[in-house]
Amino acid sequence: MLIRAVAALAMLVVFGTLAVAGERTPAPKDAKVYIIWPPDGAVIRGGKLWVRMGIRSGGVAPKGVDMANVGHHHLLIDTDLPPFDQEIPSDRNHLHFGGGQTEARLEDLPPGKHTLQLLMGDHQHMPHDPPLYSEKITIIVPPY
Amino acid sequence: MTSMLRQLAACLVAMTLCSGIAAAAGATAPDNAYLYIGWPNDGEVLPANRPFRVWFGLRNMGVAPKGAAMPNTGHHHLLIDADLPPLDQEIPSDRNHIHFGAGQTETMIELPPGTHTLQLLMGDHNHMPHNPPVYSRKITVYVK
Repeated sequence: MLIRAVAALAMLVVFGTLAVAGERTPAPKDAKVYIIWPPDGAVIRGGKLWVRMGIRSGGVAPKGVDMANVGHHHLLIDTDLPPFDQEIPSDRNHLHFGGGQTEARLEDLPPGKHTLQLLMGDHQHMPHDPPLYSEKITIIVPPY
Repeated sequence: MTSMLRQLAACLVAMTLCSGIAAAAGATAPDNAYLYIGWPNDGEVLPANRPFRVWFGLRNMGVAPKGAAMPNTGHHHLLIDADLPPLDQEIPSDRNHIHFGAGQTETMIELPPGTHTLQLLMGDHNHMPHNPPVYSRKITVYVK
């Protein structure tokens, strides 16, 4: 009974996602988003760094530019991927680079472990279909 | 007849002045924009007959596809075995001046054995260098 309810819910979620996904901007074919630097596990003294944001087989455009095969970077810090059928949140855990930037300067990472992940957004800050996101990496800021 | 020649001369002068004005009108770039080749390194030795990735580093400025006139953005041009072109004219488009008008931030290239130079130059939505021009250091790679 419970299993059937879960299955029904799962189908609802899947179909719901598909229905909305139909309206999303198609992702460039074979595109791959990745963090060029820092590498996974990097130790960052002082908590200040440039994050280099990479995309293969796709291009970067500022927000508002509605062209094919482009998007802009979002850097997710210490958070999981947001829902793909909604606008990417904009807060201190979801940094938007709507100016078409390809590098992000981080200045205030406190000591501890932090995760970084990239997610591309289209001209309306929506993830593409399929969504383009990088692996999630962990960096370590030692005590100052 | 003389008056016609004079008119023609005046017309030519006007055209020259106009193109001078147009040439000076490359989009403005931030003074602290920094363009560099993230990889390969200067002096890198690369194996022949194998394409290699060149990635384009840009700080304090953004990337936009050609035709998208947004402030503080431009698109990358990779100069291969060429000096900087005139900075008051459209960047040439040929095998020594590769345009990345789709907003790409990296590319794969293959070069014949020998010594080669690589340099990046940003162009605005009209393929004109910015004011001030934004270009990287010229690096040398050895293909063996």
